Amino acid sequence: MNNTYKPYLLGAAIFFFGLITPVLNVLGVFPDTTLNLWGRYFCFAIAALGVDLIWGYTGILSLCQAFFFCLGGYAIGMHMLLKTGPRGVYGTALPDFMVWNQVESLPLFWEPFHTLPVTLLMVFLVPGAVALFFGFLAFRSRLQGVYFAIITQALALAMWLLFLRNETMLGGTNGLTDFKTLLGFELRDPATKRGLYIAAFLALVGAYFLCRFITQSKLGKILIAIRDGEHRLRFIGYRITYFKMFVFAVSGILAGLGGLLYVPQTGIITPGRMDVQASIEIIVWTAVGGRGTLIGPIVGALTVNLLYSFLTSAFPGTWLYFLGFLFVGVVLFFPKGIVGILSSLRTPKLET
Amino acid sequence: MIQPLFAHWLLLAIFLLVQPAFAQPETNTWGNFQFKRLASGDDDSIKAAVQALKTSSQSGYYPLMQALFNGDLYRSENRTQHQGLVIIGETWEDDYGESQAPLHTAYPEQIPILYETGKPVVVPLFDLIKIESGRRIRTMIQPYLTRMELFHPDSGKRRQAAEILGNRGDSTAVSILQTAIQSESNSSIKRQMLVSLSKLQLHSSDPQTRLEAVRRLGNLNDTFVLPLLKARIKADPNGVFPEPDSQIRDQLHQAIRKLGQFSIFMQTVQTIFAGLSLGSVLILVALGLAIIYGQMGVINMAHGEFMMIGAYTTFVIQELCVGLLPAEALDWFFPLSLPFAFLVAGSVGVLLEILVIRHLYSRPLESLLATWGISLILIQAARSIFGDLTAVKLPQVLSGGYEIAPQVILPYNRLFILALTTLSLLSLMAFFYKTRFGLKLRAVTQNRDMSACMGIPVRRVDSLTFLMGTGIAGVAGWAMTLIGNVVPNMGQTYIVDSFLVVVTGGVGKLAGTITAGLGVGLINKILEPIFEAVYSKVLILGLIILFLQSRPTGIFPAKGRNENT
Repeated sequence: MNNTYKPYLLGAAIFFFGLITPVLNVLGVFPDTTLNLWGRYFCFAIAALGVDLIWGYTGILSLCQAFFFCLGGYAIGMHMLLKTGPRGVYGTALPDFMVWNQVESLPLFWEPFHTLPVTLLMVFLVPGAVALFFGFLAFRSRLQGVYFAIITQALALAMWLLFLRNETMLGGTNGLTDFKTLLGFELRDPATKRGLYIAAFLALVGAYFLCRFITQSKLGKILIAIRDGEHRLRFIGYRITYFKMFVFAVSGILAGLGGLLYVPQTGIITPGRMDVQASIEIIVWTAVGGRGTLIGPIVGALTVNLLYSFLTSAFPGTWLYFLGFLFVGVVLFFPKGIVGILSSLRTPKLET
Repeated sequence: MIQPLFAHWLLLAIFLLVQPAFAQPETNTWGNFQFKRLASGDDDSIKAAVQALKTSSQSGYYPLMQALFNGDLYRSENRTQHQGLVIIGETWEDDYGESQAPLHTAYPEQIPILYETGKPVVVPLFDLIKIESGRRIRTMIQPYLTRMELFHPDSGKRRQAAEILGNRGDSTAVSILQTAIQSESNSSIKRQMLVSLSKLQLHSSDPQTRLEAVRRLGNLNDTFVLPLLKARIKADPNGVFPEPDSQIRDQLHQAIRKLGQFSIFMQTVQTIFAGLSLGSVLILVALGLAIIYGQMGVINMAHGEFMMIGAYTTFVIQELCVGLLPAEALDWFFPLSLPFAFLVAGSVGVLLEILVIRHLYSRPLESLLATWGISLILIQAARSIFGDLTAVKLPQVLSGGYEIAPQVILPYNRLFILALTTLSLLSLMAFFYKTRFGLKLRAVTQNRDMSACMGIPVRRVDSLTFLMGTGIAGVAGWAMTLIGNVVPNMGQTYIVDSFLVVVTGGVGKLAGTITAGLGVGLINKILEPIFEAVYSKVLILGLIILFLQSRPTGIFPAKGRNENT
């Protein structure tokens, strides 16, 4: 899909979202809430890029991407809660929900999250390791297609149930919330929010170029080959399992990165973000934007979420209908998504 | 409400006649004297009267005592129709806001007092004087009521009374329990009475009675008496046993061992039953899924929503029947709604196949996503039409359960689902292997293109397969109304589990679905008491993934060369 790659369009978009909007925000023209909203959508777009890499390019449907998203989100949430320390409601070093649950001392697995560098490392290590391990088991036994989708969905469901429990020490149904600072900056401060917005945007741009690098390398060709003719590739002699594990891990890490940047901007992370539907929604974004292109998932994540915030306030109760029809419609009539529609509009003109 | 004198009361009366120990000067004058004391309204007189009536074992005092206990006993003074003690029925307020009470006689049985014209006597509550019964009087009456209820016409009351008497440990209840046991016709209640009797006799002063009681408890299989028996052989710090006789202690050990074994056996039975029950539900849900998947390679994510459609169809039929069927035949709505549940869910399924699935052949992942979208639409539609919570009334026949041992009950609705699953499986087998359409269907499952070449109308077979698959989902939903509420997202409860069942079972083989369904159900119920429900779910997922390591295409993989396409 190299024909959709337009350097000047991309540059304009980077210029607009990375520079114009923050400056307008400083000047007071662009409202804080909208900026914050866009920042969050960028995080979704990062996760959608990961889905595109594994589903759009490699043809593997993973239904547990929201779980990876939440792994990143919980990691940074734990870090911020530990930094909140005595500023919580109970004024103890322990997070508030542990005080409610009569937990005496900090569970061992919370310890690494005291420092930010380790936390950031965890955001990459944990989803990556989970994806590698799970992917190894699944791909080694050549689970593919629908089977893999269902197994990952069951994984997402099981993890969701696990995170809902109080004794897993992750806040249960209420999740983690009431964060105060990150790196010493007040989260409520508009300047911090602006900083997070820019960070999310830069991460999105970084993720885009990473995916671009991967898909345009020889590795990317192999991924596409896995999608289009897995058995031929296997017979040629490629070790498909490792390629699949790699792409699963990268997409998991991208989702985790999205979660990492998402949570400081919303101020809360609950297991609701990782239920069965959440994972599928990320797939919708990708499908709507246009899978198999790199700009598609970004466009899709932004469009669907903008529609979501518009529809839930303008026509409450219609969102699920809309999402459902969008899903069916895109799958049936526009398999290439918005980007596909746009390029097909343009193509005839170029030919004449 | 007190019901008319029944056989049980009569038996009690006969018993009282032949038991000289209970014989009392029960002349009318004695009774009248007690009634006067009650009617006096003086607290001490009431207490004395209650004390006297309590020791009498004439059943005729039961209504009166119960009314006194409930605060329904009144004295009527200036009414010529009935002077003295009366029991009031349910009161109501007349147009002037005054409470009106229908009167009942208090002795020897509680019957409405009528005018000569046959109209019930109703007086303002204001004109009556309440016989007050404080907490102490009520405590005095309570044991009396319980004993009398051993002979109550209502079997539930009899069982309850027997249980209470056994737990209270009042040894004076022994003889009345013995009488009740003789007259009891219900074997389950009789057993409860025997257990209670034996529990009381454990503390008897006669060693022979104690020995017999222990022996009986050992045979009655009521594991709830285990702690009681264990307490009898536990020595206090001075080395003194509550049970002095060593021979009886041996017998106690024996009984405890026997009951312990029985308890383990029953737990096993219950676990297996729970596992089979869950397994049958999973199979019922997974059946339709497996048929469609086997036939077209489409995982129907909206499968749970077709269950929901079946359940709501049942609900709608129930609501329609409320107006049409007479009240006593209302339960017939349930069998009546079965074909509707199948047809409604099935036709929506065919519609879905024609409008969506047909266009997505050989794109299994896309059809998975499209059906997910459909499921969202269906859930939201159900929510807008029906609101959030509705329920189907459990038919009378299916409420309750089969008691295989004291306190071990297999609910009829679970048994019903077990039977339904078996029946569905058998009819599907017959359908697949005995009909022409079944033959075509299996042919298409094995090799779609070749079947088309042989002249099988592949598209029509697909539509019919979808009708079958979603129709069975509707039947599953119909059955689900027996064990849960009807809610828009009810389909989500079992759906992921049944996906796993399909994946584990392998494609296109009913045997795989059955094995995997029962396996998942049983393992789940075996793990659940050890770990918690959530962790056992996680464990099962782990087990399935491990299992798929060695058999990636399920327990019974489809044979043939096209398995990898």
